[in-house]
Amino acid sequence: MSARSSWWIDWKLSPGALARETAGRLVLFLVLAACFLALVLSGGVDRFLSRQWAITAVLRLSVPEAEGRGIAAKVAGLPPVESAVYKGPEDAWKEFTAAYPGVEALRAAGGNPLPGYVEIHLRPGRLSEEAVASVAAALRPLPQVDELLTGGKWAPRILRLKRWVNAAFWAAFALLGAAFFMVFAVQEKARAARHAADFAFLAERGASSRGMALRRAAATAFCGGVLALLSLGAAAGGYVLVDSRSTLARSVVGPPPELLAPEALTLLGAFLVSAALLSGAASLIGWRSALSSAK
Amino acid sequence: MIEAFRLGALGRGGTLWEGVDLSFGEGDVWLVAGPASCGKTLLLRILRGDRRPDAGDVVVGGESLARDGRVAAAFRASAGLVPQSFPPRDIAALRTVGDLFRLSAIAAGAIPAQERARREEELLALVGLSDAPPGPDAPAPPPGGAHAWELESLSLSERARVALAAELLRNPKYLFADTLVANAGSDWSDKLGALFRALAREGRTIVLAERSVPDRWQVVRTGDPAVSGPFSFYRLGVAAPEPKPSDLEWFPDGPGGKEGA
Repeated sequence: MSARSSWWIDWKLSPGALARETAGRLVLFLVLAACFLALVLSGGVDRFLSRQWAITAVLRLSVPEAEGRGIAAKVAGLPPVESAVYKGPEDAWKEFTAAYPGVEALRAAGGNPLPGYVEIHLRPGRLSEEAVASVAAALRPLPQVDELLTGGKWAPRILRLKRWVNAAFWAAFALLGAAFFMVFAVQEKARAARHAADFAFLAERGASSRGMALRRAAATAFCGGVLALLSLGAAAGGYVLVDSRSTLARSVVGPPPELLAPEALTLLGAFLVSAALLSGAASLIGWRSALSSAK
Repeated sequence: MIEAFRLGALGRGGTLWEGVDLSFGEGDVWLVAGPASCGKTLLLRILRGDRRPDAGDVVVGGESLARDGRVAAAFRASAGLVPQSFPPRDIAALRTVGDLFRLSAIAAGAIPAQERARREEELLALVGLSDAPPGPDAPAPPPGGAHAWELESLSLSERARVALAAELLRNPKYLFADTLVANAGSDWSDKLGALFRALAREGRTIVLAERSVPDRWQVVRTGDPAVSGPFSFYRLGVAAPEPKPSDLEWFPDGPGGKEGA
């Protein structure tokens, strides 16, 4: 028996059953890939929190608009900052009157009483107490800054809670992956048991049992990698479609082009390699467990 | 060449047999004959490298089967096996003749699909299974010809012959067959004798285990007089009669074919 002929041995022995099994695995991989993409893009609750929560640098009344914009541009250049937008006194007044209708009369008393401010959003991946402190440290010495609003005593608590929530999301993903791995291992065991007599037939004709097990595992790992790649592609495509029709997904999960960032690509590569390795491991576990049951 | 030196086997609380010296050359047909349960199957398994002997050694091409598992595995890859009971119980329920050929083709390595289909048809015809229904009282065969027949539905003779055909698909250099002639039935005794002679003339070595020498087979008793065991060794005359031309067309590449050992 040549090495080549035992590479896809399960496909040769029961192509129909294996095709059905593979289709089922594709569905499971799709679920995993969709969850993984959402987690990678959103960083758990990082994206949501970075949209909802901002550091506000309230400028003094005397600061001219050009200076305010200059401060915003400088702050935007800090590494943890995703955006820093200057809002002039007029913008602040409009926001104020929109929030508290009926107070327009105040302006008649002596002009616009509100100062301009800079609204700073941190990058989802850099949302931490240290990042907040570093931005605050950069702004506090500026004489133009009258007051710095960073969330007060709630900010550290929220940021700590965020870490736990994110960890819980990843743990749930890992549990889902482990459950699917168990399903794969059970499928592999059932298939190995179903074909035990075939493998014995081949072993009696010179095929090495170890070689068969390893080649089956390698083929399963290859299939797992390909299925994971297809699933990631399909999930990303689906997400691009959703993103083009709704802005909600983008604000909670994130913009799809960020998947092409080096960090995201590294994580996607890790997903593919893990899918391949775990598929191969499931094959070996199934083989061993089918053999021990047969004994 | 298969050589055995002072082979011995234990079983049933004692020595089954011992002191077996053999030398099977290429192009020979050998017959091991002895009563039921005397250890013929065990001898065949030991000679094929499926089991280590309790004493002595089997040497193929100068290398010991007992000492090196890789040598034994390589030898098994080039050695066909027709077991006494075929198919095994756990494989029988689901398998058809076509499935068996597919499995045998996997064991053989890569056989081009067209060549495989041609050889399967020829081999089925050779063992009389190309157009016969499965069993005398069986209903008409399902579409797909003999390939679609379930092994369980075949008679003992048909199973023995289809097992032989599946092994020949692998184009083995050696063929070990256990009670094949008896299982195939007296109608097939002469045909199988002719087939084995033809295969031997192509350079293959055939080792058969039977309870007795089949009728009308011209054999020469041989063996070491010092053998202490319940069986006898016979060598089938290979030279006569002349084979039909079609007998030699099954394996144009000779024993082992392109992938032969």
